[in-house]
Amino acid sequence: MTEQIVIAPLIVALVAAIATLGTKYWPRLQRAVSVLGGVAYLAVVALLFQTVQAEGILTYQLSDWAAPFGISVVADSLTAFMLVLGAVVSFVALAFAATYVDEFGQRLSFHPLFHFMMVGVSGSFLTGDIFNLFVWFEVMLMSSYVLVVFYSGAEHTKAALQYVVLNLVGSAIMLLSIGGLYSVTGTLNMADLARRLADPAAYGIDPAPVLGLSVILFAVFALKAGIVPFHWWVPAAYRAAPAPVSAVLAGVVKKVGVYAIIRLYFTIFSVATFGDLGLPGFAGDSLLAFYGPILFVMAAASIFLGGFGAIDRDNLDDLLAYSSIGQVGFIILPLAIGATATGVVPGTGGTTIRTLAITAALIYTVNHGLAKGGLFLVSGAVYEAVGTIEFDDLGGLSERAPTLSVAFLVAALALVGIPPLSGFFGKFLVFDTAVQAVAVDAPGAELALVVALGGAILTIAYVTRAWNRGFWGPPSELVEDAYSPRQQVAIALLLVVAVVAVGIGFDPVFRAAEDAARAATNTGAYRDAVLFLGGGLV
Amino acid sequence: MTQYVLAVVLGLLFGVGTFLVLRRDVVRVVWGVSILSQAANVYLVTMGGLEGAVPILAEHGNGHGATPTDPLVQALVLTAIVIGFGTTAFALALTYRVYQTHGTIDTTELGGEAQ
Repeated sequence: MTEQIVIAPLIVALVAAIATLGTKYWPRLQRAVSVLGGVAYLAVVALLFQTVQAEGILTYQLSDWAAPFGISVVADSLTAFMLVLGAVVSFVALAFAATYVDEFGQRLSFHPLFHFMMVGVSGSFLTGDIFNLFVWFEVMLMSSYVLVVFYSGAEHTKAALQYVVLNLVGSAIMLLSIGGLYSVTGTLNMADLARRLADPAAYGIDPAPVLGLSVILFAVFALKAGIVPFHWWVPAAYRAAPAPVSAVLAGVVKKVGVYAIIRLYFTIFSVATFGDLGLPGFAGDSLLAFYGPILFVMAAASIFLGGFGAIDRDNLDDLLAYSSIGQVGFIILPLAIGATATGVVPGTGGTTIRTLAITAALIYTVNHGLAKGGLFLVSGAVYEAVGTIEFDDLGGLSERAPTLSVAFLVAALALVGIPPLSGFFGKFLVFDTAVQAVAVDAPGAELALVVALGGAILTIAYVTRAWNRGFWGPPSELVEDAYSPRQQVAIALLLVVAVVAVGIGFDPVFRAAEDAARAATNTGAYRDAVLFLGGGLV
Repeated sequence: MTQYVLAVVLGLLFGVGTFLVLRRDVVRVVWGVSILSQAANVYLVTMGGLEGAVPILAEHGNGHGATPTDPLVQALVLTAIVIGFGTTAFALALTYRVYQTHGTIDTTELGGEAQ
């Protein structure tokens, strides 16, 4: 009976989307239904998280078709972890939007689109089938296209056009890769894929093409996550979208790309081993060894390009968008180390460096989701209060809007990584991963340490600059006339409080992340749970 | 033989799609994207294998014992076509909106505007 809980987040979000469509002639009711939908989503996700903690991996086979033939929906600790992050950030953003987006816009389409986007996000986290992943990506993207162009002014249509065309090309490429994978391995089910790749001879598969096809697929995920060199749509899209949507795009939708990389490459493809393929620098062992250097170069490029880009931005949203590119680099960096370094962290009794690396990436994901989500909401509140987010017209906000400024400061300090905020543990674990990798002599680990340090300094630089130009100093004319949007400030503060709470009560978050990382590296358990290998059925 | 023809056609389709995506005219870009996604669909069908009989009851069940063509890819392609249809319609509507707000659909002119 408990297996239905797996699809509950999807159904709740879908019902919320349809209910908000049906109530569009009663704006107050629509808003109430929408926020209630957010609460219900949060509740079922919490319930799912709890059930997964108690019972392990849960699966739901659509229409009861047994695993490799039907579509499987799978919830393990990693999925549950990501869902909780998504639910928290999206709920706060939704509440913010209810006071921020203008009346007409809300009535027209905002609420249904927002919930449809969450349907896509939940589906992407939950699915156990790669073609189904493509479908959920499309559901998520379709709504996000419209939300990016929501204000439909000149700059919005331009940004959306870029975003749409880029993602459409990405979708076509994803289809290519999926078709290729199906042709090579004969399955689309992720668990079945893992089973076949682990023992290719038994299924008559030549795994060599999987490497190339996975590279094509990786480009699509990197595009979704906004990692250099697939980052250039990020600033325009985040600037164009309404503030609460930018918060969800940066805090949740980007993380879907990160999740897909962890799930497919660290759980599924990692079991594939290759003979000598004659590739330079790749001695022909596990697939992850091939991705280590690639992930490292992309992470380092993201950290530096995002960091340097953020320093000389003249617009708060622009700065936050570039900072997002850099911060995703910080999420990918430990993954790069985890892909390369094998071995056990000394003195932990069996935690591998790969598990530690994924834990670090997940903790950083939480930190970035909460802090950046909060910052985008603050930016929205600043726009509402002052009427601009150009640094030239800002200045002195800390005098006129002290609460708002505190919200910005705390979230920004979380990005920098000051204790006791969540960012401290994120940065700490990234450094710890690098240090442990140095301890076991993993190649390039010292370099990773240098990159992380450089990135941390850049973060301090652009955060300080944003604070100095926007919040410090004498108030500008526009700031003098600013009013205080109390509700919005209060809602934005929720995420800031979450940042502090995660930092102070860090232990349960850490344990959940570690559980998730263990689930991500335990291919066998995932495979057996989905294919019922433990239970005697096929 | 069929596979060579299809390989050439696929190559051409991807070539034409890429060429159109790189054009200055936004409408052509949308066509290009549309052709790229259709090419991906044709590729998907090809990946399922071209040999084999009609999946269900070929020749009233008296087929020559031939293994049926894999029907899964065809189901996938149907899904992908529907999604592609929706996104293309949206992209065209967006193009019209770009024309309304900018007075041009030339990407060079769009890119040259001040931010």
